[in-house]
Amino acid sequence: MSEPRAAPCCDVLVVDDEPVIGACVRRVLEAEGLEVFVVPDATQALEVLARGRCRLVLCDLMLPDRSGLELIRELHAVRPEVPLVVITGYATAANEAQARQAGASDFLPKPFDDAELLAVVRRALSSLRDEGRPVQGRRR
Amino acid sequence: MRTSVGTRFMLGVGGVTALTIGVAAFVILRAQEQRVVSQLQRSADLLSDTIESSTRITMLQNRREDLHHQIETIGRAAGIERVRIFNKEGQVMFSSDREEIGLVVDKHAEACDACHAEGRPLERLPRGARSRIFRDRDGRRVLGIVNPIDNEPSCWQASCHAHSADTSVLGVLDVTVTLAEADRMLASSRRMVAGLAVLAIAATSGLLWWLHRWLILRPVQALLEGTRRLGEGNLAVTIPVTGSHELGDLARAFNEMTRRLAEAQRLLTQADKLAAVGRLAAGVAHEINNPLTGVLTYASFLAKRVRDDPELARDLEVIVRETKRCREIVRGLLDFARQTPPVREPMDLNEVVRRAVAVVMNQLTLHRIALQLDLASDLAAVRADANQMQQVVVNLLLNAADAASEGGGNVRVVTRCSELAPRGHVPIRVARCPSGCDLLDPAVRIGGLASIRVLRHGDGREAPVNLDPVYGRHTHVVAVTCEAGTVARWSCPRCRSPLEVAGRRCPECGAPVFGVAVEGEERVLWCARVGCGWSWWEAEERAGPRPVLELIVEDDGPGIPAEHLPHLFEPFFTTKGRRGTGLGLAVTWAIVERHGGTIEVASEPGRGARFTVRLPLEARGAPAAAVPEPDAVGG
Repeated sequence: MSEPRAAPCCDVLVVDDEPVIGACVRRVLEAEGLEVFVVPDATQALEVLARGRCRLVLCDLMLPDRSGLELIRELHAVRPEVPLVVITGYATAANEAQARQAGASDFLPKPFDDAELLAVVRRALSSLRDEGRPVQGRRR
Repeated sequence: MRTSVGTRFMLGVGGVTALTIGVAAFVILRAQEQRVVSQLQRSADLLSDTIESSTRITMLQNRREDLHHQIETIGRAAGIERVRIFNKEGQVMFSSDREEIGLVVDKHAEACDACHAEGRPLERLPRGARSRIFRDRDGRRVLGIVNPIDNEPSCWQASCHAHSADTSVLGVLDVTVTLAEADRMLASSRRMVAGLAVLAIAATSGLLWWLHRWLILRPVQALLEGTRRLGEGNLAVTIPVTGSHELGDLARAFNEMTRRLAEAQRLLTQADKLAAVGRLAAGVAHEINNPLTGVLTYASFLAKRVRDDPELARDLEVIVRETKRCREIVRGLLDFARQTPPVREPMDLNEVVRRAVAVVMNQLTLHRIALQLDLASDLAAVRADANQMQQVVVNLLLNAADAASEGGGNVRVVTRCSELAPRGHVPIRVARCPSGCDLLDPAVRIGGLASIRVLRHGDGREAPVNLDPVYGRHTHVVAVTCEAGTVARWSCPRCRSPLEVAGRRCPECGAPVFGVAVEGEERVLWCARVGCGWSWWEAEERAGPRPVLELIVEDDGPGIPAEHLPHLFEPFFTTKGRRGTGLGLAVTWAIVERHGGTIEVASEPGRGARFTVRLPLEARGAPAAAVPEPDAVGG
């Protein structure tokens, strides 16, 4: 896991306390040339967003220090221009509605495969491009 | 030592009864004895007066020998013990017992003491004080009465001059009569009263014992036994209702309580018990989703990168496919866990069908299913939970798709308004015998519903019969067959009270009819003749056909074997082998049941299957109103 104090600049910030999620998201997205930064809790996520910048946040709904919904509200308040995608193992229509109300732009139920993940990430990033921001991932 | 309430009650009431009767007998005997004694005193007094007046002339004429003779003669009369005349000094002057003559009696002797207790003797005493009861020399009880012989002018004027004029009492006549006869009578009446008292105490105690057994002990023991069996987890226990008093009310309340418990348990066993299991599973499922994500993303990611190694790619595809299967199972569990009470709002069933079709279209295409929709255009709005009904349609469509053979198949969805005849469609959800026993038997289900268990007495045997719980349908489950045409007797399998309805005859064959109590003071009747097939539910027949919405999903797959049909809606029952979770149809059944609707399946092997869901329409002709927001199905 990366050190948040480095004031990172990344494409995708993953907030999930389950290491395997961070690892597999990183593996899939980095292969697409996207820079991925993983933090395990909401506090570090807010810290990263306060110091550095990122283009997209993938966020679990159950975090060790606070609920994902709270984090989404706070992130949305701080950086309304950053699209927030909820990834959750307990996907219900109600959860999705609440997440979208809190400011999430998309909803991805776990477990997902690489194609589903990429589709959601591309959709979120293309919405940025529509708003005139750069989107092209840098290939390593 | 533990004493039962009944025994204490008996001892208490018995003791009080015995005491009361005993005291009453004692008082009666005392009064009778007193009456007899005073009667005897009166007659002894009369006798004494008679003797005195009959000897008067002899005394006046001073014929002493005649007087002796007279006294002796009187003394020999039956019942008279002794007659004596004392002079003023207490000397026996005349006596029926000659040996006594000349003896002097002490003035303080018993017979004299009443008058001579004071210094100066009394001259007049009431009869009671003049008489005394004592035992004679032979130990027999006798009554003695003394009578003073007054000095009269003729006495002291008589020629013998035996008495002077200045004394008032000349002597005393003492008559003693035997009490033997009276004592015999008193003893006999004592024996009789005592006997009667013992008899009364015994009879009262016996009656009390019987009453307490019949009215208190029996129902209380039934209650105790019922409670004990309930405590052991037997929810089928019912107590015979013994009457309209408090214990009867208690028994009724107990039966009602067990019925509700059994009903609650029945519902639990239907779907909610498994919803609880599902909830548990959901907790696990949630945790499983994280590792599954790891496996799925890595495997699918790798599968794309090893395209040049087909063998490895194939292996990775297996991992991906099987992981996705895990995902479906977990989603099924989560869906099952999320069953909630329906939020019923007017909804358009056609719209729900279209949304459900959109959700499963991909899978139908994958299975090469040709879908045909025959949706009625004039469909009335039905009050139902749109999300849950969508799940019903999705489940039925997926079930049909799974049933289709390898080469694909046809699935047809029909919606329509219909009038439902009560016969063959309306389920009987409450069934009780006249004593209130619950006759529903969840262990034997007919068409997914608990059957009605009764006892049939025919062909000289008794056998349990599980009646079809759908009114007017006759797919009964019979353990032992009985020759058709036999007029059998029918009874409750629990309390064995007969179910025959007096005064009713089958209008088709004239045989007696039997019935069970259902909701609202109503009865459902059947003909008692085996094989007649007449049945009657007054309330349903009166209400006539009821409007329903029908949703039919039929496929032309291989059909469902007959032996699977009764278990089709049970949780975790699956014929799909490795493909299914066995929860889809159970969830569907539970949703339809919660909407007060029915679901039935008709199938013949090789000829497909047809699922029919019927939802009751409360009022006809209501326009399809606001349809709730579309919602994603599943997770």
